[in-house]
Amino acid sequence: MMTIIQQFLLALFATLGFAIIFRVPKKLIPVSIIVGALGWITYLISLYYFDSPVIGCFIGACLVGLCSTLAAYVFKNAATVFIIPGILCLVPGSKIFYTMEALLKDNLTGMAETGLQTLMMAGAIAMGLLVMGACTNVVRALIHKTVTLKDKF
Amino acid sequence: MDQKKQKETLILAAKAGKIMMKSGAEIYRVEDTIERICLACGVDHVNVFAMPTGIFVSINNEDQDDTVTYIKRIKSSETDLTKISKVNHFSREFTTTDMTIEEGLKILDEIDNGWKYPFWMRAIAASLVTGCFSVIFGGGALDFCVAFIVGACCYLLSRFLEKYEINFFIRGFICTAFAAACALVAAASIPGVAYAHIITGCIMLFVPGVAITNSIRDFLSGDMLSGLARMTEAVLIGISLAAGAGVVIKLWAILGGVVL
Repeated sequence: MMTIIQQFLLALFATLGFAIIFRVPKKLIPVSIIVGALGWITYLISLYYFDSPVIGCFIGACLVGLCSTLAAYVFKNAATVFIIPGILCLVPGSKIFYTMEALLKDNLTGMAETGLQTLMMAGAIAMGLLVMGACTNVVRALIHKTVTLKDKF
Repeated sequence: MDQKKQKETLILAAKAGKIMMKSGAEIYRVEDTIERICLACGVDHVNVFAMPTGIFVSINNEDQDDTVTYIKRIKSSETDLTKISKVNHFSREFTTTDMTIEEGLKILDEIDNGWKYPFWMRAIAASLVTGCFSVIFGGGALDFCVAFIVGACCYLLSRFLEKYEINFFIRGFICTAFAAACALVAAASIPGVAYAHIITGCIMLFVPGVAITNSIRDFLSGDMLSGLARMTEAVLIGISLAAGAGVVIKLWAILGGVVL
């Protein structure tokens, strides 16, 4: 529990750094850093239960996508404002380095393993955002349809 | 609609699109904004084709014989989410109220040259990112302090290279190479510092998160070309980051330094 709180705070501050570098609108900084930290915690929890960083990335990206869409709806702003700082914690930066390190140590099996994992994690983030985006598109289309139906009848 | 107004409309719409595209907006948002602004100015037919490197707008009025086309080339880009959000609000305002084109241009200029965080604040933000990530990936308090300083230096170096318009691939390479060199020196001189955690922290600062996110959102809205372009950018940045750190670590080992 202690580590979870510690990781949450660390992710919060890391996302705050990204929010300042990418200049998230000032009023939305608290929301966007909470989205980012929640994504990271979801990743850690799913890593604990499924023991696979790929599934962790997928679930984390799904959560970031969902929270961002909701936040975009509530705060009447572009969803990108929340997604970009939120997703950055999940991007496998450390795996890139460990792939390189395995290559330098002539450990080709290790390199193939971590390299593939890096690519799969990036793919999982993409899939998570894709699934969430498709879902929101469907929901939005359904809402618009009901609205137009109401107007007609 | 006379020719002068047609031209002014195009300039306004392309300017709005350019600001958005430079700040890292998705393709459909840029195309949508340009289309809305043109239609609000009273143009009959608009067609927009936007890419990360350029915008093409073509408008046609029924009372005129010619179709007018405007091409805007986009060179550098810097992610700035405030600008995206502001231009978004501006386009909504412009289409719902009867704002003139001159007023619109003035507002866009204000958005483009708006207030930015002071440089020292951005440098501290960058060091916050590297420091926190070095701890997240398993470092200790000492690693945090070293990564904090190295992160700020890396950010300064990256901005310096950006000023001389060095492309993103080489920039990523040089920045991580610098970070790796600093981390190795720190690990050799201060006992208890692990170079791996510092380098991973610094890599996170340059990781292509924006490119991945935008490429997926472009694919989702059917802009395959831009999606592919941004996906390639993400892969290239990832490779350059790994190469930068790798080359320095290898050189360090060859020159006789001890890699812990």
